Amino acid sequence: MHEMAIAMQLVDQVVAVAEAHRVRSVEEVVVEAGAMRQIVPDALELAFSVVAEGTVAQGAQLRLIEVKSVARCRKCECEFAPELDNYVCPECGQADTRIVAGNDIILKTVTGSEDDGGRSS
Amino acid sequence: MKIQVVENVLKANDAIASANRQRLDAANVLAINLMSAPGSGKTTLLEKTIPAVGNDSRCAVLVGDLQTTRDAERLGQVAVDTVQINTGTGCHLSAAQVAEGLNALDLNRLAILFIENVGNMVCPAAFELGEHVKVVLLSIAEGDDKVAKYPTLFQQADVVLLTKIDLSEILEFNHDRVRDDLSRLNTRAPLIEISSKTGQGMDRWLDWLREQQHQ
Repeated sequence: MHEMAIAMQLVDQVVAVAEAHRVRSVEEVVVEAGAMRQIVPDALELAFSVVAEGTVAQGAQLRLIEVKSVARCRKCECEFAPELDNYVCPECGQADTRIVAGNDIILKTVTGSEDDGGRSS
Repeated sequence: MKIQVVENVLKANDAIASANRQRLDAANVLAINLMSAPGSGKTTLLEKTIPAVGNDSRCAVLVGDLQTTRDAERLGQVAVDTVQINTGTGCHLSAAQVAEGLNALDLNRLAILFIENVGNMVCPAAFELGEHVKVVLLSIAEGDDKVAKYPTLFQQADVVLLTKIDLSEILEFNHDRVRDDLSRLNTRAPLIEISSKTGQGMDRWLDWLREQQHQ
């Protein structure tokens, strides 16, 4: 359940963005997550909804987009897309890799309305 | 209104992790993050390792558990200093918790800091702590299928310790299965078969540790 720790960071960031842009009510939050971070979407959505309670992000929809990771072989520098259960380099056959992309969890967009009233923007 | 943000959600953790790393480097301390399931033998391994690494390598331990100071009490017998971090309901150590732990230690007195993570094969793999190397333990009792079941943890390992090797025959453990699974995930990390009880493999593990100190 590392989703709870991630949700807490995420809500902090969403609240900061909302405050900076005078958003009173957040409707949608889009997050890109690298496959290597092993996030269970349902668990993150639940954690987010719990942590967001009482903040401007309360009731907001969380949309999670999973992005493929990119691995770089330490032996031959070849870059390839590993599977979760297979990091063998297609060039040299070694499984000695560094994840160079798709290892992050990125807050992409926050959508909301500036007024206090309705939820439409 | 739609606001473009593009901000790393884990940046707070990662920033603290790199600050931890700088503090450790400044004090010339090798930090080792030990990760595994509960009961794989992390604490017992440290009880045997710390007295064996030699007097010139002073060791401290940061140990994470949900509750109790049991591990810290055990490790306090062998380490220069021990800090128990109780995570409450948290399933992993975070960089901030390690930073607090570092505050409680005199880093200049140390050569090696062992960070015994919360027993868990999933969540600790997602959080950098500022460590130099990651040690992953798998005990014979857990079964020979676990490398493939928890690939991300094993993919990150700098060394894999197959612990409780003395139970291998009793439990009919299939060593080839582990080697085969690791060959798809991580051919860089050496696999060391070890028993804290009989001492088998201890030399190889200690040699590996000393190599890390000289890097």
